[in-house]
Amino acid sequence: MAAPLPNPAAVTGPARGLSPVHAVAAVALVAVALAPLLAPAFYVTLLNYIGLYSLATLGLVLLTGVAGQTSFGQAAFVGIGAYTTGVLTTQFALSPWLTLLLALALTLALGYLIGRITLSMGGHYLPVATIAWGLSIYFLMGTIERFGGFTGITGIPAVSLFGFTLDRERHFYYFIWVVVLGALWLCANLLDSRPGRAIRGLKQGSGMVEAFGVHTTNTKTAVFVLAALLACLSGWLYAHLQRFVNPTPFGINQGIEYLFMAVVGGATSVWGAVLGATLITLLKTWLQDLLPKLLGQAGQFEMIVFGILMIVLLQHAREGLLPFLQRWLPRRPRALPPAEVPLARRTMPSPGSAVLRVEGARKTFGGLIAVNEVSFEVAAHEVVGLIGPNGAGKSTCFNLISGALPLTSGGIRFLEQDVSAMSASAIARLGLGRTFQHVKLVAAMSVVENVALGAYLRGRTGFIRSALRLNGQEERAAFAEAMRQLERVGLAAHAHDAAGSLPLGKQRIVEIARALAADPILLLLDEPAAGLRYAEKQQLAALIKALKTDGLTVLLVEHDMEFVMGLVDRLVVLNFGQKLAQGLPEEVQANPAVREAYLGA
Amino acid sequence: MDSTIVALLAQDGLTNGSIYCLLALALVLVFAVTRVIFVPQGEFVVYAALTMASFDGARTPGTVWLLLALGGAAWLADTVKLRREPRRMALAWLATAAPCVAAAGLVAWVAASKAPFVVQALTTVLAVTAMGPAVYRLAFQPVASASVLVLLIVAVALHFVLTGLALLFFGAEGVRTPAFTSASFSFGNITVSGQSLLVYAFTAVLIVVMAVFFRYALFGKALRATAANRTGARLVGISPDFAGRLCFTLAAAIGAVSGLLIGPITTVYYDSGFLIGLKGFVGAIVGGLVSYPIAAGGALFVGLVESFSSFWASAYKEVLVFTLIIPVLLWRSLSTTHSDEEE
Amino acid sequence: MKKVLAVAVSAMLCAAAAQAQIKVGITVSATGPAASLGIPEKNTFDLVPRTIGGQNVTYIVLDDASDTTKAVTNAKKLIAEDKVDVIIGSTTTPTSLAIIDVVAEAETPMLSMAASAKIVDPANPKTKWVFKTPQNDSLMADAIVENMKANGVTTMGYIGFSDAYGESWLHEMRRAAAAAGIKIVADERYNRTDASTMGQVVKLMSLNPQAILVAGSGTPAATPHKELVARGYKGKIYQTHGVANNDWLRVMGKDAEGTLLPAGPMLVWEQLPDSNPVKKVAREYVTAYEAKFGPRSTFGGHAQDAFLLVNAAIPEALKAGKPGTKEFRAALRAALESGREVVGVNGVFKITPQDHNGMDARARQMLTVKDGKWLVVTK
Repeated sequence: MAAPLPNPAAVTGPARGLSPVHAVAAVALVAVALAPLLAPAFYVTLLNYIGLYSLATLGLVLLTGVAGQTSFGQAAFVGIGAYTTGVLTTQFALSPWLTLLLALALTLALGYLIGRITLSMGGHYLPVATIAWGLSIYFLMGTIERFGGFTGITGIPAVSLFGFTLDRERHFYYFIWVVVLGALWLCANLLDSRPGRAIRGLKQGSGMVEAFGVHTTNTKTAVFVLAALLACLSGWLYAHLQRFVNPTPFGINQGIEYLFMAVVGGATSVWGAVLGATLITLLKTWLQDLLPKLLGQAGQFEMIVFGILMIVLLQHAREGLLPFLQRWLPRRPRALPPAEVPLARRTMPSPGSAVLRVEGARKTFGGLIAVNEVSFEVAAHEVVGLIGPNGAGKSTCFNLISGALPLTSGGIRFLEQDVSAMSASAIARLGLGRTFQHVKLVAAMSVVENVALGAYLRGRTGFIRSALRLNGQEERAAFAEAMRQLERVGLAAHAHDAAGSLPLGKQRIVEIARALAADPILLLLDEPAAGLRYAEKQQLAALIKALKTDGLTVLLVEHDMEFVMGLVDRLVVLNFGQKLAQGLPEEVQANPAVREAYLGA
Repeated sequence: MDSTIVALLAQDGLTNGSIYCLLALALVLVFAVTRVIFVPQGEFVVYAALTMASFDGARTPGTVWLLLALGGAAWLADTVKLRREPRRMALAWLATAAPCVAAAGLVAWVAASKAPFVVQALTTVLAVTAMGPAVYRLAFQPVASASVLVLLIVAVALHFVLTGLALLFFGAEGVRTPAFTSASFSFGNITVSGQSLLVYAFTAVLIVVMAVFFRYALFGKALRATAANRTGARLVGISPDFAGRLCFTLAAAIGAVSGLLIGPITTVYYDSGFLIGLKGFVGAIVGGLVSYPIAAGGALFVGLVESFSSFWASAYKEVLVFTLIIPVLLWRSLSTTHSDEEE
Repeated sequence: MKKVLAVAVSAMLCAAAAQAQIKVGITVSATGPAASLGIPEKNTFDLVPRTIGGQNVTYIVLDDASDTTKAVTNAKKLIAEDKVDVIIGSTTTPTSLAIIDVVAEAETPMLSMAASAKIVDPANPKTKWVFKTPQNDSLMADAIVENMKANGVTTMGYIGFSDAYGESWLHEMRRAAAAAGIKIVADERYNRTDASTMGQVVKLMSLNPQAILVAGSGTPAATPHKELVARGYKGKIYQTHGVANNDWLRVMGKDAEGTLLPAGPMLVWEQLPDSNPVKKVAREYVTAYEAKFGPRSTFGGHAQDAFLLVNAAIPEALKAGKPGTKEFRAALRAALESGREVVGVNGVFKITPQDHNGMDARARQMLTVKDGKWLVVTK
């Protein structure tokens, strides 16, 4: 599936250093602080629910909107938060603070377990698996008599904070919104960081992020657990706000409702969660007030009108409301302060030493032999072209070398190490960088952020330090490196554009910059000249030559013979998955078998 | 638990499984062509059963108003959209709005006259089938190129609308419709009603027809191609809008016949659609949303697990059904290759 | 958006201008799983008079979609925005339990239309503000057990909704059956919209109980019942008062014959002796309801009873304060539990501080179905 056409204004994430955004945030903060004093009492009630929904939806924004893993099960984790405290505070008289810890611990364990099992499923199996366990948990809550069954648990105590009982809505309001704003801050920080860029890259398929050393299963599981913890927190707050729980609010319908809020708000940004929760909650309330006046009858029409409005809204704003609003927000490119300590660089191998050795590589898909006993070598500082007609197995060969596909038989050695059984991220760690035949940039991230993702393996900060903004030095170094690579490829002027807004040819060059940001020893370029104009091709050729001078080794797949001939040191020709010829460009060009393969008999 | 009980439960599971199967087949059809996970498929089933029940009770079904509303809205949408292309506008009217209005008239007439059972049943099928293209035109055509997630959310919103309208038009209480046949057949010590056999037969025929059509017929393959590549499909002469309308028409027709077939076996409520749709969806997913026979197998599996777990531990029935489906999903997920690029 | 706000603001202003009247807030489950109960309740408030004790009364009806969160939001809205004097609702036990805290905090009397006795549990101090109009499950369960005993039943099977209604009934039946020495051989559960209950029915019949109770409401209670009949179950089949409407009879068809159930007297007011005070009240209500909305439902009766209780208490409360004040609400609460008898359509209420339901055996009639009609069982 091609990436949806991105709106350049929809670049999300970088909030650091944007003073207008700070101003908006400050206004929002004041509004939140004053709301209970100015708004009618009932609106405080609504704002409390909006806060709770925002928290659960925030988790879904991360998991579904950003990381691309659709889940219907978010409400079940809200239920786990609510039921843990509901049962333990009423039956064992535990302190709500203790039950909060227990609920979070339980969610962590369950989330990890469920995440591990379900996230290993790809495609559409994942959403339906979330429906399955979501419903199982829901029905379990209703069936166990100790948990109050479907009738529910009454008499849940209020939360006390420093001896002050939060049993009034206005007081609990502040508590809820401090938690919500804190969670938003942490999540916004997280998304704008090393692991955050990896999460945002997940939607482009695991192949892309793994090529930069991201362990996708771990990252997905971590996001899943984070989403579950946010949901659990929301549930814990719900139980102590409502002081009553029964299974109804934690069923599949509510799970869908959270998904609704995320999509309608704008699932690619943390603010979309608040926007979606606010819009849906207020809309339902207004419809409840308005429809009886318009139709002269209460009830029954709300759901119908609500559904129609949602359909119309999505038809006019399929990315949700946030991108709509962001057009009106002032935007300034992120500041890129210089790095105190630049990122460490690798030492390149000495010229002529073996970098890559492909030994009898073979790959079959079912009965089809895609790559058959192919062997060749690439030495340091060489530029080697891998060519062949369509369907010759070039890209499959690339995917075998980079570890994106497992070999059926044969072996691959990279820097004298056997990498045949290694994962893509492990091979990337050894110093292999690559681009993709179908461009895989994160369309909604800026160009420089995309390139910074390439430097993933050169940083170390994890989720927690990133969320708490303890990653300043490393971030500055990563962005300085990204800018350096953009200058190297000549796209520094586009650093702050949304990657998806560039023409395809330029996007290919951004991919090269991203691969370079990983400081690779061997660079695999998959059809880098496709879609480029003549002048751009000249520039690309010059760039590849410069890379060679800088000590890089390059293996490239290309169709454009003219482009390849003047550029490479050697050529390897594939046809029908087999090696047809190899040698100097002129030798290969003169080879009758090659001419036949290309021109047809 | 003796062999009679096993046989009874198996037969019950088979019946329920067939119902889910009918849903699953339509879901796979719609998804394969339009990438829409069509949550409201169950509502077609419900509308058919409730319309038939209204005929049976000599009342005018609310379906008339729904059809008029759908037809009117589709007429308006096409008129605005194609105002500069009168020829295409007229064609669009004919394809979407006109069938709705005609079906509404037919339903009103049949309700008013004492039409025989067969006429009532055929009218019901026509009425519900006419909803298909209108629903596609109004809800999905404007967002046809959106992501699977957005299409899913639109489908959920549509489900709210259709369920809400069903409650408004038909009330909250359930209905049973008259059976096609009162015959029953004995196999050893269990008796199977003729109506159940009709359900099995319809399901089996549908599985075969759909699998053959989409695997071997050129037109079927072309329809499937529209899901993968809308521009490409247009190049080979299939309009994605036409493909969408067509498959929604088929899905609605399958839903309508299903509703008539199951109405006499079970009580149908205004909100029955969601849970049977959900179980059909599970079956469809087991089939990877592409394979009709495997989807049917998945749906039958759900039906059988449900039947046996309601015997052993009815309180935990849903927990058992949905927990047992997870290993099946895992197994299916591991045994199929799927590309990451699809959402 | 502006328009919406403008309407909202003007609505608030209107509300403020019309302050000097009695306001009754109603939250019912007019949509969602309990819609078949909530709709007749909602309809009933179209019929009730607009003046009580010479004061104008406004009824504000909200739908809570059978959802507890929505019910709480509605209750808070009715209290904070509309400043209601009394809340009637909600339809189900969970939605009613959920709003107890809200009304207790706001010191606003509430009349629930849900079944479980737990809603008015005198042990919970918050239920001081809570009343309920339907017969307690326990009262109805006792009626069933009495009838079983009279029929010589010693073993029974149970099949009920897997929701609060089924749960509450199972709980009450366990208590009542144990006291009467009746053994419950199996308790099975099913979902309201389940297409089939064959598994549960086969299980029940394999244990061969002398009677089976189906605890569900409305047409969904027909599913296991029809299956039992189709499988040739020979024992007695009992239903609860949840099925007491025409739709259930319609879906059951001839399979309903011989069913036994306890129900509120309004369902069969025609068969009551003239000496029964309920007869007149029930006749008036049922006649008005059927003229406008079609066949009667005892759930609508619960709403009517809530109105009748409020109607009886208001004149007294008016003596203590003006509507819209704390004093008025407190007086209303006190008047509701004054211990005076109020004749309703489903029985006679004698609400005291210890019993916030106040119904007795006059609130139930043992019925059977004969020739597709309800028939009072005479002992």
